[in-house]
Amino acid sequence: MAEITDIENEFIREEIEEFLERPNEIETAINTFAQVTPAMQEIAASLIDGDYQTVDQLTREALETGTDALEIMDNGLIAGMSIVGIKFRENFIFVPEVLACARAMKTGMAYIEPILSAFGIEPVGIVVMGTVKGDLHDIGKNLCIMMLRGSGFVVHDLNVDTSEDEFIDAVEEHRADILGMSALLTTTMPNMEKTIEAFIDADLRDDVKIMIGGAPVTQEFADDMGADGYGKNAVECVELAKRLLEEDEEF
Amino acid sequence: MQQIDKEEYQKRIDQITELFASIIDHADEQSTYRCPYKNKEDRCTAKFGCRNQRKPDNRKERLICGGDYKLDYRQAWETEEVEGGMAIDDENTEHSMGTVASDDRTRNLSVGKTIFDYADELEIQLPTSCLRTGQCHECIVEIKQGMEALQPRNEAESFLQDNYRLACQAVVSDADIDIDFSPLRRKPQILTNSNQTPIIHIDPIVTCQSGVVYYDRESIDKYRGHLYGLAIDLGTTTVVISLVDLENGKSITTSAFENPQRFGGSDIMHRISYDGAHHGELRKALINAINHEILQMEEQFGFVRQEIYEIVAVGNSTMRDILFKIDVQSIGQKPYKSTIEQAYLAGELSTTSLTEKTRRLGIRANPKAKVYGLPLIAGHVGADAAAALVAMDMASQKETVMLVDVGTNTEVVIGHAGRMLAASCPAGPAFEGGLIKYGMPGYDGAIESVRWADGQFEYDTIGDAQAQGICGSGLIDLLAELRRYNQMTAKGVFADKRQYELTVVPEYGITLSREDVSNLAQAKAANYCGQFILMRHFGVSPLDITECYLAGGFANYVNVDNAIQIGFLTPVSENRITKIGNAAIQGAREVLLSRQKRESIEHLVKSIDHVELETTPDFFEVFVEGCQFKPMPSVFR
Repeated sequence: MAEITDIENEFIREEIEEFLERPNEIETAINTFAQVTPAMQEIAASLIDGDYQTVDQLTREALETGTDALEIMDNGLIAGMSIVGIKFRENFIFVPEVLACARAMKTGMAYIEPILSAFGIEPVGIVVMGTVKGDLHDIGKNLCIMMLRGSGFVVHDLNVDTSEDEFIDAVEEHRADILGMSALLTTTMPNMEKTIEAFIDADLRDDVKIMIGGAPVTQEFADDMGADGYGKNAVECVELAKRLLEEDEEF
Repeated sequence: MQQIDKEEYQKRIDQITELFASIIDHADEQSTYRCPYKNKEDRCTAKFGCRNQRKPDNRKERLICGGDYKLDYRQAWETEEVEGGMAIDDENTEHSMGTVASDDRTRNLSVGKTIFDYADELEIQLPTSCLRTGQCHECIVEIKQGMEALQPRNEAESFLQDNYRLACQAVVSDADIDIDFSPLRRKPQILTNSNQTPIIHIDPIVTCQSGVVYYDRESIDKYRGHLYGLAIDLGTTTVVISLVDLENGKSITTSAFENPQRFGGSDIMHRISYDGAHHGELRKALINAINHEILQMEEQFGFVRQEIYEIVAVGNSTMRDILFKIDVQSIGQKPYKSTIEQAYLAGELSTTSLTEKTRRLGIRANPKAKVYGLPLIAGHVGADAAAALVAMDMASQKETVMLVDVGTNTEVVIGHAGRMLAASCPAGPAFEGGLIKYGMPGYDGAIESVRWADGQFEYDTIGDAQAQGICGSGLIDLLAELRRYNQMTAKGVFADKRQYELTVVPEYGITLSREDVSNLAQAKAANYCGQFILMRHFGVSPLDITECYLAGGFANYVNVDNAIQIGFLTPVSENRITKIGNAAIQGAREVLLSRQKRESIEHLVKSIDHVELETTPDFFEVFVEGCQFKPMPSVFR
């Protein structure tokens, strides 16, 4: 049975003391962090802090000094993200903070991905995501990207206000399996249709699966404009993405 | 040496997926009360503009979120970019020293723009139905500060005084003075109560048995403590919502608010055009306003929206269809029928009533609740007239009665349970203040009644406020008094034939001109035609009408005798006139509480014949006759 004082990293100790309340969660956290190396604790701490630059540096160093990739995932990244999840659930932090931590996690995973390939572990799929032209909303899209990456997809984020050409170029460049578009306004929704048409015109429509989402978007709308699918939230987005890939494989 | 086992890796991925899924779940829930762009320090991380953004003390920091938790934050989002999310002062752009502001929003001033232009930039909605040419008088704003920065009032604004301007006419002439303006705080005299006949027998479609709530026979929820329903009257100008207890039939509260769709025009035709050009905007504005009202009711009366199990909506054909996400363009063009009516006439639908899930329409209620829109009668004569027929119990009438629902569009229905005729007359806005120099809607400051005594006009204003103009009931009184004292001929010429404008209230310069009278004559003629032609078509004279039911906004305040004298209303003896107030909302409530009434009105509307006034062969002659300010004949030959 470990004690909180067994955890070397001060930041982590403070996080556990201040933000964890449920006894079982406190116990799990203490047991986890007490057993991992200080280097892993540091990675976790930086992730909880949303500091992607430090996570970047530390992950690189850890791999260079021979730390196991899975160990980094377990004890650095996942351990840190679990604490983030608890803080968010208890409303100590909010979506912007969570996204910052997810970004830090992605930065760490970026070093691990080449190792996965070397072992024949390919990404589940390659996705290009963006918010359509004229629209500056990105939270929903960012949560979907977080979820997709967490489920093993590689995602290329085109950000907001993305034009049809930018979508086409990115899909071609990254050989994407799936294109995801987001729109939050009824006035920008037509740009989804325009983008799909642009793909048809460029003779690329059959090369990629297109899924759409966003508050005013509906299944009906998706069907009307020839999208391959519609996802109501990030979880559905991932399920849809997986389903679309399966459809592809059937060919 | 790195070693990664595929299965082991997959385990981690599954773990992460599960962790993120619960994060997403919580994010969804949190987003119902807190904007997801707001970080833990209450700062805004959005890339776009939002009305809740406030400047931080230190310019280098993020914008502060000034939003509260009461309104759906999505309403405040705009699409304009915020520079980098930080509050940056444009030191590079040359601008004047003066600013224009309304509420907390500010813009820099430049010469030559109108207040309406700034209202657009500040995203303040001002109504207009004359394409901002100064005629409809709807964009009145109060200039709290900076009158000197504007060009003086022009001809179109001459009816205003003090600090009131027409936003479309007020032009900035000095850009170095700060301006602060606000739209009028409008508290119209709205009918929220009707003469409520107590509803004795209730058999709503929503019931509760053994702790389970049923919609018809389908179980939809566990009983949470209340069984509520909403009746909504979607008036072109005013929306009324009534919260009804479905267990005992009592109306818990009724609230009214200005229909926000006014920015699309104040009459139906303009709104139909607007909807064609900007489809979805009118509906969105309406849904948001309705949801806001529902939220306020929840807070005030201590219940949750999941306890609202049915909504009954009424309104004219255009208003109803917009709510139900139906394209209304066909109502604006010959033969002026809703697509639903057309489908019904073609045999594709068995009724013109609509039922839709509240979730699909985006209204705050139980997710499984439904919205029922009463059937339409024909053309523009819509669900509100149908509801009025429920309220006056047309289904039980054995003798000939008449319903006159006065408004921008007046609807007339005549008959009895066995045979009915309906017509709609586009009277226009004259009796609601439009096109009349000193005309105005029923707001504070409107002259609502007038009498001639001792050589001058005595009057009362709404809210006892200083007289700003004259509203519908006041105009009717004025016309009647002018006739009564021979100050005006039936054809609308003043006693002094050369007089163009006569003074009504000398202290405030309120006048009535020959042109005003002409516009009123035409509006009155429309009302006259509707009633006259229908009675004639039906084969009765005014003497034969056993009861005349007067419904609608300003009908309640109208002096019936004066209205009859000038030919605005059928000459029925006063004891045969019943003012039924807002019959539409009353009818909606009754339908909400009774399946039997619902079936009855569905059945009744099918046997109502629509008379198209304009295609009546002598319509023009009747109209010209109706323009004269004299009573309708009591007996038709």
